[in-house]
Amino acid sequence: MFTRTDDKITTSQAAVFLTNTVLGAGILTMPRSITQEMRTPDSWLTILVGGFIVMLTILLMVKLSQQFPGQTVFQYAGRIAGRLPSLLLCLLLVVYFILVAGFEIRSLAEVTLFFLLEGTPIWAVIIPFIWAGTYLVLGGINSIARVFQIVFPITILVLLVSFGFSLRLFDFNNLRPVLGSGVLPVLHGLKSSVLVYTGSEVVMTLVAFMQHPQQAVKAMIGGIAIPFALYFLTIVFVIGGLSIDSVINSTWPTIDLIRSFEITGFFVERLEFPLMVIWLMQMFCNFCSFFFQASLGISQLFKFSVTPVIYGMVPVIFLAAMVPNSIQDVFALGDAIGSMGLALFLMLPVLLSFIWILRKKGLKQHV
Amino acid sequence: MYRYRQLKMLFLYLLLPFVLTGCWSSKEIEDLGMYTGMAIDIGQPAPVEKEFEMKGAEYSKHNKVMTTIQIVPMKTVRTKDKSNTGTNKPYLNVSGSGDSILEIFRQFSVRLDQPIIGHHLKVIVISSKLLRKQTIEQVTDFVLRDNDIRPSTKVYISQGEAKETLESSERNEVPSFHIAGMYRNQMRTSKVLDSVTLSKLDALMKTKKSFVLQNLVSGGGEIEFSGAGIIKGSSGHWIGNLNQEDAECLAWMTNNGKAGTIKAYDWDNQPLAYEIKSMKSKITPFVNEGKISFKVNLAVEGRLIETWNKNNIPSTNYYAEKTSQIVEEKLTQMIQRLMKKLQSTYKVDVAGFGQRLAIVYPSVWKQVKEDWDETFSRSEVNFTYDIKLTDFGSFTEKE
Amino acid sequence: MSFLSSVVVHIPSWSVFCQALIALLVPILVTRMYKKLHSFVGNGRNLETNKTIQSSVSTPEVMPFSGDYQTDLQAIYSRIGSNSDLHARELPIKKLNARGTLFCVDGMQNERVLNMRIMEFLMFEATDGLLAGTVKSEELLPFNNLSKVSDIDIFNRSVLFGHAGLLIEGIPHGLLIEFPNGTNRSITEPVSEALIRGPRIGFSEVLSENTSLLRRQGFSDQLEMKSYRVGTRLQKDLVLAYMKDIVNPDLLQEVQTRVSNLNADFLADSGYIEQLIEDNYLSPFQQVQNTERPDRVINALLEGRIAILLDGTPFALIVPVTFSMLLQTPEDYYERWIPSSLLRMLRFGAAFVALMGPALYISLIAFHPGLIPTELALSIIETRQGVPFPALIEVLILEVSIEILREAGIRLPKPIGPAMGIVGGLIIGDAAVQAGIVSPFLVIVVAVTAISSFSIPTYSAGVTLRILRFIGMIFAAFLGMFGTILFFLLLCSHLTKLKSFGVPYLTPASPFRATDWKDLFFRAPLSLMKRRPAMLKTRNNKRK
Repeated sequence: MFTRTDDKITTSQAAVFLTNTVLGAGILTMPRSITQEMRTPDSWLTILVGGFIVMLTILLMVKLSQQFPGQTVFQYAGRIAGRLPSLLLCLLLVVYFILVAGFEIRSLAEVTLFFLLEGTPIWAVIIPFIWAGTYLVLGGINSIARVFQIVFPITILVLLVSFGFSLRLFDFNNLRPVLGSGVLPVLHGLKSSVLVYTGSEVVMTLVAFMQHPQQAVKAMIGGIAIPFALYFLTIVFVIGGLSIDSVINSTWPTIDLIRSFEITGFFVERLEFPLMVIWLMQMFCNFCSFFFQASLGISQLFKFSVTPVIYGMVPVIFLAAMVPNSIQDVFALGDAIGSMGLALFLMLPVLLSFIWILRKKGLKQHV
Repeated sequence: MYRYRQLKMLFLYLLLPFVLTGCWSSKEIEDLGMYTGMAIDIGQPAPVEKEFEMKGAEYSKHNKVMTTIQIVPMKTVRTKDKSNTGTNKPYLNVSGSGDSILEIFRQFSVRLDQPIIGHHLKVIVISSKLLRKQTIEQVTDFVLRDNDIRPSTKVYISQGEAKETLESSERNEVPSFHIAGMYRNQMRTSKVLDSVTLSKLDALMKTKKSFVLQNLVSGGGEIEFSGAGIIKGSSGHWIGNLNQEDAECLAWMTNNGKAGTIKAYDWDNQPLAYEIKSMKSKITPFVNEGKISFKVNLAVEGRLIETWNKNNIPSTNYYAEKTSQIVEEKLTQMIQRLMKKLQSTYKVDVAGFGQRLAIVYPSVWKQVKEDWDETFSRSEVNFTYDIKLTDFGSFTEKE
Repeated sequence: MSFLSSVVVHIPSWSVFCQALIALLVPILVTRMYKKLHSFVGNGRNLETNKTIQSSVSTPEVMPFSGDYQTDLQAIYSRIGSNSDLHARELPIKKLNARGTLFCVDGMQNERVLNMRIMEFLMFEATDGLLAGTVKSEELLPFNNLSKVSDIDIFNRSVLFGHAGLLIEGIPHGLLIEFPNGTNRSITEPVSEALIRGPRIGFSEVLSENTSLLRRQGFSDQLEMKSYRVGTRLQKDLVLAYMKDIVNPDLLQEVQTRVSNLNADFLADSGYIEQLIEDNYLSPFQQVQNTERPDRVINALLEGRIAILLDGTPFALIVPVTFSMLLQTPEDYYERWIPSSLLRMLRFGAAFVALMGPALYISLIAFHPGLIPTELALSIIETRQGVPFPALIEVLILEVSIEILREAGIRLPKPIGPAMGIVGGLIIGDAAVQAGIVSPFLVIVVAVTAISSFSIPTYSAGVTLRILRFIGMIFAAFLGMFGTILFFLLLCSHLTKLKSFGVPYLTPASPFRATDWKDLFFRAPLSLMKRRPAMLKTRNNKRK
């Protein structure tokens, strides 16, 4: 067929989709949240270890999803665990997606209001953003994936260039000593380093949309490898540039790093400008991804058509974004989301595959 | 055509709410007062303020600090001819005193016709006298928290009143830009220290390490970098100054300075200048039965660039050796003077010995971290020098 | 209890709920309005109900020639005889001993040929056997075109369109013997797409010339042209051109359906067709490319695209089109690959400036003074002192005057045009700065923006960017940088949804097709471009 009518995405689109879902607010706050837990410069090690754990989980999720070609977790969970328990689990997942969407958009609003638009009411930032997201999400997964493909290379480029310029502040001594306090802090920070990969749950729906599901492992591991590498670079450059003592107390350490130097004589002397631009675009992708997943969940769980669900999701996400009263609340919400994500990690893929294996084995024995 | 009219109307209706609500954060750049320099002094009412207060214009305060900001550019009335408008300075310094820097700033708002913004703040000068009374954490807390002021702002200490460093006798010059630009001379002399930005300052204060800030001296409408002021980490107060040569040695020792000259007197007691081309320093800590010691190796390469000796110095290895000897003696002398100041006079480690120890012996560092300055002043530091004279400039003279 | 109280604390206030309601209602309302508008305009386009149209075209009752010379002559005269430019010359046909009438319209036939050759032949040579209507006899006639028409109406129409018509006593149908030969413009260089290097030939208004220009591009038996009659009242010829062995049959089918469903009484220019066959008429972006250049058309055909040529216009249409095509010129392929690649990237940059320039100016000047380099901020402040307007108004003043200037420049006769540009651009700009209405910095921004938009090779794409620029300015005036980014994201969202004949508009950037990137931002050396664009799903992929 010349015109494609099926809503499928290519392998590279799937990878970029996962990347953009995972790469969110964390890029600005992650160096602080991890360093606060660890208080040693070894956070980059933690990111590495956490990344490998996440990769394993993703592998599990992909394998599970590949057992049910063309079906998302909302559809196949019922076939594994029975209608009611799976409904509860999936609802939890949907609530989780909504909360993450709200959280992301709220952190976006906080950063925008703090650095760019002091004095603008918060709703004037959030509502247009949700509307723009709605417009995109209405286009279905294909449109979303295409926008991701446009934004993604710009993000990578600007991020790397900004980090490259920050080399002038980079002091290798800030990253030393390696393992000065032993391995314990690394394990201690593991929890918060897994949290920065929030959003990898989308793998369980993403595989269903892939044109070639047999390439899912490649796509998903590739998709998570990029944020993995970027987070690693971020933490190395931020801590190397600012030292942990400064990072611990900084609300948005990555922006602080970029604001800590000026490139005189360059057209954009202040690199926080491009950084903020790509970060806002990245947040848009991130937000749209969760928006889409949440709407998809509701529509598949209750067999609604997806368009009204998307409209209905708008006020829900807005309220979710408006619930925190202060920035402390926002970060508390972020932590809560992280723990919830961890629980969901355990519950959904691990529990489901466990039951699935049990059932399969049981079937074999019966035969 | 009918359908386009419909479309237009639709757009108009959609735009209506936007136009009505307006643009909340919109502030035209020319209506704002950018301050590019800021000086923090000991609290005392500025002359203008005294007059205000005499007339009863006052609010409750204890005058703990005085803040001066430098606003650029001055508003000029547009004149037809493009010739210079006269003796007007291109900047405006406003001072105010009070207990909180933000409150002082807001007090400026009842005096000025433009809201001030700090996005373009380049330098902060803090008077050393103030730092004797107040800690540096207290003084810089606001500038670190504020969202306008960039962490790339450079921080300096002034020997006299900080406010005076923001004055200049040069007519078309903005002193804060002048100070910010002086940093460029670091490639010429190591007396210009690595500038301490707010983000660096933040990290230094948080670790409770002692550190130095470049010292500014003003006189006759001009400014000079003169050595460095030492901030004691444990207290956050200013405790004293290093002079220019000490500061230079400090830069060399910490691997932050790679330029400069060493002037010595040769065998005929004539001045001789040695230009440093490269300077590498390596601090190695040793822990021996709980006793901490350091070995510092300074490897210098340079050339003979100036000599006043009437007898020409021939370009031979022999004389190269001889000159190096003199330079080494001089360098040793300078370094020893610095070490004496650090270890006995002020008892602070501002040369990064602690950091080296922390990297090499993390466990030992944990034990001594609390009163490192004390431990450092008791530690033994040995120096070795490795001085090379690569050439004699563009002269080659025969014996 | 403490848990409950903390929950209560976090319940948003009623105003937040109101905002949530607004957030819900606005998109729903906008969608409904959009749908309404779409269906309202869609009625006039009649894409689906093609059956009725076709029948309505073919319904006019057939009025055959009666065979009786007098009645037929009367019938013709009664229908078109009142036209003063119609010449009817009655002539006796000697050898046949019959009468005949030759019809023609002023200025459409070569008079000399008519007089000398045709009339002479008819009057003195034509025999019964030749004109009797036997099959063989037609071949013996010395006309290169001769067709029989059995319907009076069609005969009339053809005569008025310029054919020479012949009615002969005893023959029960009309004969059309010569093609219209009206005056034409000579073939000239394409005005809207000038090149430094490359063929200087452009299409003209005559369809047959245009198709011949395409044929003359090279020897091929695969270049196929299919002709259609379009228009319900004034009918015109339209030709679909494509390479038979390359084009994707589904695409061809789609184009054919859309073309045969055209519903308009008259198509004055190919622009009519473009508007009637495009996918989304509410989009500011064109989904069909128009060009005057035969070389451009033939290149597109070789990539697997389809060209639509209409009689009476020098503009051919190419479908499907992608965004990147609008920023490419044929010269990219004629020059060596390094300069063309660099120029292409320059054009992408220029398109970005043309779109975002003023929006960025507004957001930086009025919202984020902290993001500009200090020195620049200082000089902007100095130049803007005394400008009484906020940034948006200031930009609007200058932008609108530039647009007016441009519009005026098109209308003016050629000798005055440049003078106008100088008066408008230089004098008004300088005077505005002197008078303190706008700042010199803005003049630079607007001028750069204007020049950038001229550098876009496709005129209509430039217009699109000009329109969008104003929308971007409003976004920027509303939310600064944030608004500008929002605008960009909305644009991206829109572009990713947009399709031109089933091809996503942003291919190959997204959906990502690595093989097509050779011809996107840069142009790979020709020897590397051995394959046709993958996005068109052509029948044979290799260029050979």
